[in-house]
Amino acid sequence: MERWALISGLKGDLELYEQIQRDLQATRGVNTLFVLGDVISPERNCDALWDRLQNPKRGDLRPNCIYGWWEEQLLAETGFRGDRKADALRLNHGEEVVDALLRAVDPAHLRWLVSLQFGFVELDCGLIHGSSADIGDELTPETSPLILIDRLTRLDVNRLFTARSAQQFRLELTGGGIDSHVKALGGEHKQQQPVPKRSVIGIGAGAHYTIYDAGSDRVDFLKAGAKAVANGRGFG
Amino acid sequence: MSHAVISCLHANLAATEAVLADIDRQGIEHITCLGDLVGYGPQPNEVVELIRQRQIPTCQGCWDEDIIDGLNSCECSYPSQLAERRGHRAHQWTDAQLSEENKAFLASLPMTVRRERLLFVHGSPNSQHEYLLPDMDAFAALERVESSGANTLFCGHTHMPYVRELSGGSIRVKVKQAGEEAASERKLELPMRRIVNAGSVGEPRHGSTEATYVIHHEDSDEIEIREVAYDIERTCRAIVDGGLPEVFAWRLSHGFEYAERADDASHVCER
Amino acid sequence: MAQTWLISGPPGCGKTTWMLNTLKNHQGQRGYLRLPGISTTGLEQADDGAIDQTYLQDQITDLIDLSNTDQAPNDQEQQLNLIELTQFEPPSSSALEGVDSSVIQQLEALGLRLDRALHFGRDDDLPKDDTLEFSRLEAWSMPLERCVWDPNSLSSFWFELVNGAYGDVYRAKALMNLPDGRAFFCNWMVSQGGSQFLPLESVAPPDGRPKRCSMLSVQGKALDGGGIQATIADCLLSDEVLELHQEPQRQQAELTQAL
Ligand SMILES: [Zn+2]
Ligand SMILES: [Zn+2]
Repeated sequence: MERWALISGLKGDLELYEQIQRDLQATRGVNTLFVLGDVISPERNCDALWDRLQNPKRGDLRPNCIYGWWEEQLLAETGFRGDRKADALRLNHGEEVVDALLRAVDPAHLRWLVSLQFGFVELDCGLIHGSSADIGDELTPETSPLILIDRLTRLDVNRLFTARSAQQFRLELTGGGIDSHVKALGGEHKQQQPVPKRSVIGIGAGAHYTIYDAGSDRVDFLKAGAKAVANGRGFG
Repeated sequence: MSHAVISCLHANLAATEAVLADIDRQGIEHITCLGDLVGYGPQPNEVVELIRQRQIPTCQGCWDEDIIDGLNSCECSYPSQLAERRGHRAHQWTDAQLSEENKAFLASLPMTVRRERLLFVHGSPNSQHEYLLPDMDAFAALERVESSGANTLFCGHTHMPYVRELSGGSIRVKVKQAGEEAASERKLELPMRRIVNAGSVGEPRHGSTEATYVIHHEDSDEIEIREVAYDIERTCRAIVDGGLPEVFAWRLSHGFEYAERADDASHVCER
Repeated sequence: MAQTWLISGPPGCGKTTWMLNTLKNHQGQRGYLRLPGISTTGLEQADDGAIDQTYLQDQITDLIDLSNTDQAPNDQEQQLNLIELTQFEPPSSSALEGVDSSVIQQLEALGLRLDRALHFGRDDDLPKDDTLEFSRLEAWSMPLERCVWDPNSLSSFWFELVNGAYGDVYRAKALMNLPDGRAFFCNWMVSQGGSQFLPLESVAPPDGRPKRCSMLSVQGKALDGGGIQATIADCLLSDEVLELHQEPQRQQAELTQAL
């Protein structure tokens, strides 16, 4: 049965990645690794981690990567998003951080970066860095459920895994509904639409990652190097 | 007081004149236009000039945007190669016809017009290219109105007029966070909101060939959808005389849109 | 001894469909021949023989082509030969005496002798269709060999065609290629009020343009051939786009083979 590990926000930290790989080897049954973006950051040189993701070592669970907010900024700044530059980054962090980001990644890696997808749809799950509305969309447990339903609807998935907020949570839509009344030239139409039984899962970032068991729909929130992993039980 | 909302004139002068006459006849002074003054139809300059001369507050439509910025709508908004080629041909034709002054006017149009708790947009508050169809997911539809801080959202772009009331909504959720023992539950009561689609003056596709628009009767807060007959023959002749594809005249006179469009409201173009 | 029947009728009366069913239900050998139609003043024949021939041949793989005298026998025991003839006016007299002498001669040259002659709208053995009265028909056809359609464009074009965007169409039939290798027999008659889209059994391989017969044939009034042609040009796929469709098909095929 499908058992996934979902990580994000490694920000160039190869040691952390290696620790997570060791954890996963000690965890029974995990067969797929998804890396939901923010592999890079301006904080340190990211080439070593970048290399490792493209060329996994023997024993590594092979990573399936999508791009995240930091990658999007780099792609924009290096001309892969038309006229758009890394405006969001410049605005929030200033010019030095833009420069640091450019220095953190060898331009030779850009080709691989460009080939990455915006998201995956696996089984009935959407895996995306922010949301289908925007890569920078920060979904948290406090986000209006109306917005969460919209984001689920846009991808037409039952579970949306998101990383941008860096929080680990599972929010389930459990009930409710809405009345819709449409009047057009051809007549009127009334309808009661129930809230769909869907959920949004925040997978965390950095050392905080998530294991998802598709068969039982169980979510476990983990921390790299924590003891709980070694015995394979988690604490979700 | 009453207030008329028109949309999607698409360079159809006869239809625009007929609708404005219908509004005038009822003594309605306030008109708002939701864009798409040009595109596919044969009289782009005439229609833009009429709106300018009447000083009708207007937001920018998808065609108005594309004609200034160059083709912006992604290929995925056309469901077929035929529709795409026709769309591009109409774009080039319109681009060649429009005066610089009229282009500058289209470029100056705002994305949205707001009047207290009424919001006027072309497609949706997110984009001039997004379709808000009457059968779109009710929660997603409510989200569009609610996120924009409006009570009633007026839109166009689909060329099919409707009024949709979303009421009595609520959402219950259960949240489990890392490190917390128990899940917490909460319930959100949703406000009543309304989406009004003004239909299309110049390119109706609601099943008849008549021009459509809406009137907001502000005293009763009711919306009236109006259908207005106009001289289609006149527009069809102008299509053929202007050198646009003749099949456009046939489609217009049968109530079909000039080029079919993808109807997926939730479609997100990732270009 | 073989049975050889002449089936005549105006275009769009249902000859091809009736013959297909009759041949499919026949146990023995089956032969088919289409004769060039008998022209009546003011009523043009559509040049669409290859469409029926290709479609029948696709549906009945062992169908004997009677125009090819050295291809196969035409006089086996239990053999049924059907000869299709487009003819607007009913023959002057019933049965074999009414058959045009030029038809008899053409058949004799192919070694065929008629046992029966049936005309749509006259003979009760054939289904009763409200065979329309028409006084002046134009025919227009366009060869489409090696052309491949964008599927959604094809449905838009067909919709416009049969709903009168290019003149008053009474009959439209075609064989059209799609990028997935399939071909469709498209058939529309004003009297039926709907279109048939029947897939051929044979599927073209995903390397380049298909080689099978493909054409459009239209009959009606005030037909706008130029308009039809202009729209078709917007519907057909370029080499580049066709390749975009075919490349994944080739990969898929390799994958399936490997498994
Ligand atoms: Zn429009
Ligand atoms: Zn529009």
